Amino acid sequence: MMDERPLTDGTIALLNLDAQIDALEPEVRIGPASVETRSGLAELIALRGLIVGCIADYDRANEIAEQLVRDVPTDPHALLARARTHAGFHRFNDALADIECAEQLSLDAETANGERAAIFQALGRYDESLVLREEAAKRRASFEHVAALVGLHAERGEIEATERRYEESRSQYRGVSPIPLALLDFQLGLMWMNEGQLDNARTSFNAAQRRVPAYAPAGGHLSEVEAELGEVDSAISRLHSLAESSDDPDYAAQLARILWDVGRDWESRYWRQVAAARYDELIANHPEAFADHAAEFWLAAGADPDKALQLAKMNLEVRNTPRARSLLAQAVAAQSASSSAECHENVVPPCG
Amino acid sequence: MSDHISGPRAIADPVIDITDVYAFPSPESPNHLVLIMNVFPYAGPSALFSDAVIYRLRVRSISIAPDGRSFAVAADESTFDFIFSGSQPSQEGHCALPNGDVIKFRLNEESGGTAKGLQIFAGQRSDPFFLDGPMAEKTIATRQIAFKEVGSDRLYGKNVLGIVLRIEWATVLKGGPMFAVVGETLSAGKRPVRLERVGRPEIKNITLSAKIFDTVNRDLEIRDIYNEEDAFNVSKNYAGAYRARLNANLAFFDGLDGKVDWPLDPRGNHPLTELLLADFLVVDASKPFSETSYFDIERAVLEGRTHATCGGRWLNEDLVDTLLTLYVNAGKGPRIRDGVDAPIAWSLKVFPYMAPPNRPEAGKS
Repeated sequence: MMDERPLTDGTIALLNLDAQIDALEPEVRIGPASVETRSGLAELIALRGLIVGCIADYDRANEIAEQLVRDVPTDPHALLARARTHAGFHRFNDALADIECAEQLSLDAETANGERAAIFQALGRYDESLVLREEAAKRRASFEHVAALVGLHAERGEIEATERRYEESRSQYRGVSPIPLALLDFQLGLMWMNEGQLDNARTSFNAAQRRVPAYAPAGGHLSEVEAELGEVDSAISRLHSLAESSDDPDYAAQLARILWDVGRDWESRYWRQVAAARYDELIANHPEAFADHAAEFWLAAGADPDKALQLAKMNLEVRNTPRARSLLAQAVAAQSASSSAECHENVVPPCG
Repeated sequence: MSDHISGPRAIADPVIDITDVYAFPSPESPNHLVLIMNVFPYAGPSALFSDAVIYRLRVRSISIAPDGRSFAVAADESTFDFIFSGSQPSQEGHCALPNGDVIKFRLNEESGGTAKGLQIFAGQRSDPFFLDGPMAEKTIATRQIAFKEVGSDRLYGKNVLGIVLRIEWATVLKGGPMFAVVGETLSAGKRPVRLERVGRPEIKNITLSAKIFDTVNRDLEIRDIYNEEDAFNVSKNYAGAYRARLNANLAFFDGLDGKVDWPLDPRGNHPLTELLLADFLVVDASKPFSETSYFDIERAVLEGRTHATCGGRWLNEDLVDTLLTLYVNAGKGPRIRDGVDAPIAWSLKVFPYMAPPNRPEAGKS
């Protein structure tokens, strides 16, 4: 394990992110602000949304980027800003079109390819993503370039390559902000979780949360791991606080599932309703972005296999990743099991 | 923008981004020298100093070199290291003095921390710098002076985190009365790593950042490498790259009025290059406070005469006009104005000098 350089306390880092946003937001709201200020603000707000699990932040970032493109449609940085918020809402084709257009308007190839690589990865086009990511890291082995490879290898379950790139990227890190390293630990945690190595996953998610205590997705996944490891009380307590503070229904959905599993049905029903209402709302506004998580919810605590199947199909249309294929397979199986149960119920009348 | 957002690393984390350094004899007490380092451009109300960063002010005694054309910097140094801890409701600061003593203070307390011959303030304040940034960029992009009669100040109503140090210089500092001053941010820990350093204003942004005139390193983002350098001992590795960039960009500015006021030497070196490469503020603490004396001592050295003012840099000086006039016509022509002549709030002539912070919605010019 390499020496840990001192990093800014995660609470201070988040307050400083708020401070940046609060200083720029009035300028952008009153207008006119420069393209740089507006795209910078969109990026900062999206980053906060990612950290604290706030979908309203993603909406605000998207609103800024959309308005920016309406105001200066031929500015490549405006298009880049919108490509990023489109990608955040899983509108990958729109995002790729914006990047294409931005490149024609003189966006540099390195930036354009970096964005493309992220989208290809999200779409499950791993080989294309890898070519671009490796080219970038070969040209300049900066923290950002190597860290991007960590995420890609982790998603592919390539443990050895992930660990190697993880160490390499950490050694390249020159900053004092804990946020980039927390994001890196989170990627590693996801890989361990997908590989079923729960103790390692817990270590990584814990590391991410130690760096930035308000890092909601790390806390959410840590709860999942804890529940799997039988530490249900800790998982429930963690999820309670996330479900109350975040407008992302994932935490309420997880909480409902775990509460149901331990027989706390009444509490589970409450959180199930909270999650269901919010997923319906989000699916109406951003179907591509929430189809996967909503499908998972309806498969588990939501207990509506038909809805799950419909959303899992939509998700596969958005991105053909191994996870999307697996989700569809689960949804098909659940729906078929549910149909045969219904048939059975129709043939054999209930007793009494 | 002075030294705001001066390179990829600073852009990524404003808490390490030094926006400006100032050095001036105290307006209310001639025995004192005031040093100020501002960080965190566009600081909103919740902005705090990092607890993983050393905010350092370095001061060395300086004299005119025997050749009469440059400075001789003493090896002895007085270093003031500021570190911060805690977050809300209030941060605590510690300043390690050159004699090893440590002064404690709390963020935003106007009376600050005190010790014999010293007073310290740290906290959120109005950003005293002002300029028309977009027109400065347009000037470079179009290769023509683009400033308007009335410009637009991108920093109007913005705040920074400031560190103010008032020193009885004769008892606290080594040597004098002329000093070289540099501000730095370093990562804390066993082996501190320099993250940013600032001496003179607008070196990294207006003077160094444009790549298009530099035929030697046209693709090089030079500012992060420059940031890592020790201002008093620039490494040989990149000195050639800095010189090439300075020579190219200074020649561009000189040509903006269609005439050459700074003829290059036979090797293509601009007369200001070596002086600017020694990137520290030069202040004479024995001279009275002056509001408009930035670069006076350096100019006197260039012209082979004795300086008459304190030099250094006062908070309210219209730095961009001074700098552009220097670069474009060497002070031999009309003053080049960027059309922004004042900040949102004038700084004060009493401790802690910098004006109180602006409300966030004040940030429109």
